[in-house]
Amino acid sequence: MAPLTPYTYIQCPCSDPSNLSYSRASDSGSPIDGNPGFDDEEHTFDPRAPRSNYSLYPLEYLLYCEDCHQIRCPRCIAEEIATFYCPSCLFEVPSSNLKSEGNRCTRSCFQCPICIGPLSVTSFETQPDPNLLAAPDHAAAPHSGPYALNCSYCHWSSAEIGIKFDKSNGIHGQLAKLRNGGTTRLTAKERKERRKDILQSGGGGGGTAPGASGDTGNDQQAIDMETQFTNLKSFYQGQLSESTSGGNGLSSLGDLGFASPTSLSRIMSIYTGGSLHDKKSKSRVGSMREALDPNEGLIVADLDESAAIEKLHSEGIDGTVDTEQLLNQPPYLGEPHLHGRSRFGSELRPIPYLLRTKRSKRCPVCRHIISKPEAKIQTTRFRIRLIAGNYVPSITIRPLNLNDNNGAAGTPLPPTAPLPDTLQPLKPAHFLLIFKNPIFEGVKISLATPAKTPGRFASKVTVLCPQFEIDANTDVWDEALKDDGARRRGAGGGRKGDERPGSTQGQQRAEAGKIWERGRNWVSIVVEVVPASLRLDTLPTEGPEGEKVDMSPLKEDEDVLEIPIFVRVEWEVDAVGDDLGSSLASSRDKEAKEKRELAYWCVLGLGRVSQA
Amino acid sequence: MAGVLPHRSVANIKSPGGPNSGSGPSTPMRPITSTFASPSSLRADEDIIVIEFDTRKLQVGFAGDSTPRGTIWFGPDQQRRVGDFRAWLPDYVTDWRQRATGDQWGKDYELWQYDIRDQDLGVVGDRAERALREAFTKYLLIDSRPRRMVCVLPSGLPVPLLSAVLDSLFSRFQPPTVALLSPTVSLAVAAGVRSALIVDLGWSETVVTSIYEYREVHCARSVRGGRMLTEQTHDFLAKHLSQAPKEPTQDNHEQDREYVLSFEECSGIAARLVWCKPSQTSAAAKPAEGLPTVQEHDECEEVQGTSPAKEPTVVNIPLKSAGSPMSLELPLDSLTEPCENAFFDTRYDSHSSFDDHELPLHVLVYRSLLKLPMDVRSICMSRIIFTGGGANVLGLRQRIFGEVSHLVQERGWDAVEGKAVEQLRANPKLKRQATRQAGHGSTGVASQSGNSVGAEQDGVWHDAANVVPEVDPIEEQLKGGTDKRPRAQGEMRAIESLGAWTGASLITHLKVPAIATIDRELWLQQGASGASRASEVDVKAQQRQSLGPGGLMRGASAGAPWTLGIWGTS
Repeated sequence: MAPLTPYTYIQCPCSDPSNLSYSRASDSGSPIDGNPGFDDEEHTFDPRAPRSNYSLYPLEYLLYCEDCHQIRCPRCIAEEIATFYCPSCLFEVPSSNLKSEGNRCTRSCFQCPICIGPLSVTSFETQPDPNLLAAPDHAAAPHSGPYALNCSYCHWSSAEIGIKFDKSNGIHGQLAKLRNGGTTRLTAKERKERRKDILQSGGGGGGTAPGASGDTGNDQQAIDMETQFTNLKSFYQGQLSESTSGGNGLSSLGDLGFASPTSLSRIMSIYTGGSLHDKKSKSRVGSMREALDPNEGLIVADLDESAAIEKLHSEGIDGTVDTEQLLNQPPYLGEPHLHGRSRFGSELRPIPYLLRTKRSKRCPVCRHIISKPEAKIQTTRFRIRLIAGNYVPSITIRPLNLNDNNGAAGTPLPPTAPLPDTLQPLKPAHFLLIFKNPIFEGVKISLATPAKTPGRFASKVTVLCPQFEIDANTDVWDEALKDDGARRRGAGGGRKGDERPGSTQGQQRAEAGKIWERGRNWVSIVVEVVPASLRLDTLPTEGPEGEKVDMSPLKEDEDVLEIPIFVRVEWEVDAVGDDLGSSLASSRDKEAKEKRELAYWCVLGLGRVSQA
Repeated sequence: MAGVLPHRSVANIKSPGGPNSGSGPSTPMRPITSTFASPSSLRADEDIIVIEFDTRKLQVGFAGDSTPRGTIWFGPDQQRRVGDFRAWLPDYVTDWRQRATGDQWGKDYELWQYDIRDQDLGVVGDRAERALREAFTKYLLIDSRPRRMVCVLPSGLPVPLLSAVLDSLFSRFQPPTVALLSPTVSLAVAAGVRSALIVDLGWSETVVTSIYEYREVHCARSVRGGRMLTEQTHDFLAKHLSQAPKEPTQDNHEQDREYVLSFEECSGIAARLVWCKPSQTSAAAKPAEGLPTVQEHDECEEVQGTSPAKEPTVVNIPLKSAGSPMSLELPLDSLTEPCENAFFDTRYDSHSSFDDHELPLHVLVYRSLLKLPMDVRSICMSRIIFTGGGANVLGLRQRIFGEVSHLVQERGWDAVEGKAVEQLRANPKLKRQATRQAGHGSTGVASQSGNSVGAEQDGVWHDAANVVPEVDPIEEQLKGGTDKRPRAQGEMRAIESLGAWTGASLITHLKVPAIATIDRELWLQQGASGASRASEVDVKAQQRQSLGPGGLMRGASAGAPWTLGIWGTS
């Protein structure tokens, strides 16, 4: 098992139900209470609760609104789309195309359906003639003949599914006309034209023209899902307008579509079962009928799958695709419903790249932009980006070796040293929490943590110094020039910090109420944990209220020692000329200092507890 | 009524409830204003998002599209914290995920369980939200402006689950309204029919729903669904792994089960290799022996023509999660066994060996057809729609269809079964005497109904297939006046549907307002408990409002009652 790197997660305050606008009338109506862990303020946050996985974010994922002075997580942010682009060819796609062409790249960008590697168009030399290749002029016409999409990683080729292209460009359009196996199909536009022809030749009539019967015979085996959809749609539209104009003098409203009386209110009353208006609608003539033939969208299912079963017999497991490959397939409507046949590798199709977006983000409350990327696709820079790391103190965790009595005792392990693989249960271990202040004001930090971690295996936690102050993040050179020597070394992580507690030579003790070390804009404190034993037989047989204790075997990540800590950061800003914005506040009161605070739950993952 | 007062007729024309507006104290003002407010300007380029929730996946797309833009499958990787990249660690796959973990086996792949007793509803909401967010960002490529939404939700969904889903929809995505549609009705719409028998071979259960004139009239369930198929696949593989001829435990108590293979592997094999034998109409369902293997050997000439039973194909199944990587060589024919056990369970000789919740599928379909009134049955039986993940098992649809047809041929539509009935059938003397009592059982199928319909005097039990000369005014109306072509009825027929999502997209695109349309403000104020019963809500009044901009009821004032429709009744 990989050793665990200590980590920090922050719970965005937006996940706190007391901050949600909808707290809650319906909860009382539901038989089960949502989550007792979130119910009252007093209750500590449980990082093990399944819900907490949805509200915890690493600091790097969080943004910060300067005007609301709040952390903003991806869940509580309003997004706007700057550009749509294809991640493969980096071409910008206008948003109008998105509606008509769908959410995938319509140029020649495709992913391999087997390994999702990029596909390239290569000339498909059917029978390479050695004489021709050796001839000097073979370079003149090397790319003739059919083309195929090839994966350079797994060597899949679209020839395997019987798809070859005539031209090397416009692959997307060509592919739309090709079924697997190489048979052509009509595109949507051609179908529409065909349809129009049918309608005209049959004299119109809701797509039920008798003259179309000959054509229908041809199309019979080829009615794919897209055609069925368009047939159905035009059938319903025809029916709706027909029943609207059906003899009631309502023909003037026929274009309104939804005003169709009978059929619509019938569908509207799908679930009521209430007959109150149904009776009335029945008094109308001209209700909507159902589709009767393929031209109207009714397809009789072909239940005979023996061919596919035979194929399964002949190809075995190698002919089928695994779940992931199947899920990556874009919905394809060029065939009749595949049902079980979609499992075969021969039914795979090249995957056009999904388009991506660049998004600018706004604070949902004050509508200020807190992140805005460059519009150009090739650049990855941001014009505005207020990441939370610039406003919220960061916490780094380092194991601390306090128990040795030799001279090296009391040093935090150098970051390069291998971390101890596991924590020994029931043996106290110490960790250094290093708080680093990113803002230009001094901050006061208070920590609160439950004495025992929540969860089945409760470890004991003691924060030796729950309240301390961190100096402002002043300019590094200011600091260096102002004083030298000890201070600088302290900032460098040396052992001669001036505020080290009990700084007798060599022997350093972790003392309650004292910070461990202090630097220019950082402070480290000591946390002592006594990990719980992970053995199930040490669990109490009954909970405090007599409920049954979960005796199931160890679950994933249950051996990781995680501490919930409530962090409250307080600081004062100069109302005048402060860097933190808040022009509102400064205009209100020019003189006074303004007090700010930020409070959030935070989860520290310290390490795995040994399961021995 | 409408034509009585000429000055009111304008208002009446504009509203769909025109003819009855005289009966209620409605003011003509509202319809008029809505007529003059140009509807197109507000409706233009507003996309309505259609979301179909399923137990294992959700599909999203825009109304009017023929296919959802994206599908998100629920899985354990979605439950991780953001920024947890352990899935990419090299030894991760062999670490936890492949471990067969007891009672949670496969539960991570479901959005919800219908048994909500030990479910954290907040998690359901969170999962739905995260999956939706992913779908919106990855597939729909939309920003977070509020948009109207249409949700396709199973109509049997418990209210707490519904409420959890709606809560996260309303609080996180701010849609002005959410309309609820039933997947079964959407399926019927997507097949172009007004009535259908929907056989949803779903994940947690198989649901057979009868739709008549766009209404759910009957619903029957069986736990034999995709989950059971996966479990049976696991048992089947485990049996062959251990080589010990251990009988697969048939009881479904999860705590009794010991899983030796991971869920992913089993569901993968179930999706790739498991297939279903064709029904043996010649000698099937003669349950003399209780062995499931009995059908393999003989009496299937037409089967041998299609599948190469002479040379049993052997497949090599690589297994990674059973301790050490290994591969299992199995004849492909034996891979029908999970399917047999999960869906048909031929080991028991009588249908009465099953509890109501675990009927084999063909019996389930047959019984739910049997329970329908006769004319509904005759319509529904020729509009059978197979859907759900189980429909992807090769041959399963045909098998169910064949078995049901066989049952119908064998028994007709007689609810009474058992030894005595068989004796009665075998004895022509008794049968003739009993025609008067049991006569109405043999209708619905055109071939059988001929002899009994003459003796039929009961007005209620007319054979729908044979009463052509009698003109039923309602029937005439349903046929629609415009088209006189006969409707298919009375014969078994399966039709193809484009799927529930597409049906919902069609319904929304055609601007059909749903009964259960929930306004955001009202939901945030009142929650699920604020909903009225469907019958108490004046749908007409809402529809009158709904004629206004947007097509759906947007102007619902705080005092107006609203309903969850069929979802609120459970």
